[in-house]
Amino acid sequence: MELVFGVLSIIAIAGAVGVVFFRQPVYSGISFMVTIIALAGLFALLSASFLFMVQIILYAGAVITLILFVIMVLNVQNRQLPDERGQGKALVFGALCLVPVVALGMRGFESLGNEKLVILGEGFGGIHALGLALFKEWVLPFELISLLLLVALVGAVVLLKKESA
Amino acid sequence: MMSIQGVAFVALMLFCIGFLGVVVRKNIFAVYLSIELMLNGVILLLVGLSRYHEGADGQVMALLMIAIAAAEAAVFLALIVTLVKQRNTLNSDKFTVLRPRGAK
Repeated sequence: MELVFGVLSIIAIAGAVGVVFFRQPVYSGISFMVTIIALAGLFALLSASFLFMVQIILYAGAVITLILFVIMVLNVQNRQLPDERGQGKALVFGALCLVPVVALGMRGFESLGNEKLVILGEGFGGIHALGLALFKEWVLPFELISLLLLVALVGAVVLLKKESA
Repeated sequence: MMSIQGVAFVALMLFCIGFLGVVVRKNIFAVYLSIELMLNGVILLLVGLSRYHEGADGQVMALLMIAIAAAEAAVFLALIVTLVKQRNTLNSDKFTVLRPRGAK
């Protein structure tokens, strides 16, 4: 399990680096999909079986497909891409600047101990436990999110309608 | 290795890489994907802490955040399509619709 966790973490971080480094947006999108699927595996290792499914169906299946569709429909030409020749150096310098941030963040988690997280059975993280928590203690945020989704839908339609009018 | 500290390290790395992409990149799609990376780092941390405390609340929060990310994708992509149609470029420096006329 340790090995699986390590490999999935490395794949997730490598995908994230690819998102930032690739020049073409399509490669960035596919690299992001690699990160998402590795993260879904990490969710499964953290005994969140329902979120594992949601991540694959909703993120990899819907959101990234939408992004890739938009990139392909826009038919991006090379001359439309911004000139980013100095960006490689800026990325390396920024990464060096962020090392102390990660170190500081890790200091914050030291007090939580180094106990091994084994996979829990008995329905922890399954749809039953999650549904009970969602509809007992989290009803109000859930309803607000439904409202937010409606507003986002209307916003997207209005934004694209103005263009054609 | 597979402790809450390992999970926190991966989440922090994802968040920092996403932050770097938002600050450094000019391509509007790379900026958007970097924002999604930051969101996913936070989601991973929530799931890890939910496992650590053995309660379902963190996972519910992660679920709500995935819904927010979907809503964000709809609005952001509509915005990108509108802007790219107007300016015919993906360079985020060229999107200055909100700048007052004559301002430098």
